[in-house]
Amino acid sequence: MEHMIDLDEVDDEASTIVASQQRTGFLPIVTNWFDRVFVGIYLFVALELFWMRFLEQSIPLSVCHVLAIALGVLIVWRG
Amino acid sequence: MRSNRVGWLLLAPTIAILGIFGIVPFLYVLYVAFHQWNPFGANPYMIYNGANNFRRLVFDNEFLTSIAFTLKFAFFAVLSEVILGYFLAQLFMKEFPGRGLFRTIHTLPLIVAPIVVGSVWRLMMTPSIGIVPYLLKSWFGYDLNIGRDATMAFALTVIMDIWHWTPLVTLTLLAALVSLPKEPFEQAQIDGANRWQIFWHVTLPMIRPAILATVFIRLMDALRTVDEVWMLTGGGPGAATRYLGLHIWKIVFPKTDYGYGSATSVIVLYLTLVMCWLLYVALVARRDQKRAS
Repeated sequence: MEHMIDLDEVDDEASTIVASQQRTGFLPIVTNWFDRVFVGIYLFVALELFWMRFLEQSIPLSVCHVLAIALGVLIVWRG
Repeated sequence: MRSNRVGWLLLAPTIAILGIFGIVPFLYVLYVAFHQWNPFGANPYMIYNGANNFRRLVFDNEFLTSIAFTLKFAFFAVLSEVILGYFLAQLFMKEFPGRGLFRTIHTLPLIVAPIVVGSVWRLMMTPSIGIVPYLLKSWFGYDLNIGRDATMAFALTVIMDIWHWTPLVTLTLLAALVSLPKEPFEQAQIDGANRWQIFWHVTLPMIRPAILATVFIRLMDALRTVDEVWMLTGGGPGAATRYLGLHIWKIVFPKTDYGYGSATSVIVLYLTLVMCWLLYVALVARRDQKRAS
């Protein structure tokens, strides 16, 4: 006789896996790691463009690189 | 493990097509964006110039102005299309004589190529030969000249877009409305809800995914519109209808400045994704989170 699959158990298992992948950090939405990488990259680009427009004359862009990478890491880690 | 392998095998054609026609061209554009490249200029070779194209971009007033115009265009066009599309979808839900014929005629603009739409509208709007300036002049004494009037040129690009793309919204929302179950509406009527309450608390939440999908598709399209506007106004008068797609076209084709054009394209893609993501967060993610908590 074939082994019967309990569908409720499978559903519970799937929702547990999803719950373990999604969590809430300081970002205002539930995110998984891909969402946080996505947000990190977008903020990186926004910060670089803003820096080039308004701050690069007084502060070099390399400072922005460091800040943007740090922000990206923070978002992926704690976001 | 076996099911994973089968899954990847089934996904492989899609991933291959996406890679060849989506990811590889995008990576190439990204690569070109960091180079100075004018293949028809004195030096036809690509020269790496770091972030200079982007540096030039953030100080380019024409580009910044075209962002503002494009956002204004997208806002008015998409909002009008969704509202009008919803009302037309509701109309097609009712039985009336000639409904099938009207629905077919209403869908016809969808099958016309954008370049043709632009040409036809241009013919209709040209002051000396167009039907619209003639009728406006003879009926209301209004002198329509889109080559001079920037506000009217902008409004006409919006109206043309609405005429062309509202049928898409109507069909999507009609499909969503047809698929709704009857029970919640009957229940709401039994509970004494009026038409507005039924719309706000029953219909709208149930067709929200369809509305969102339509808004995303139309927003992305509106942000990269080129051919219709190019034919109708050519981006003018001045830069009044020089939307982002047209701006990029002018950099890449007449000026053959491929590096700067690529950088501009990348930023437009960036803006489109950010706007869609923000819309998604505002309308879906936060709401789902509230419901879950």
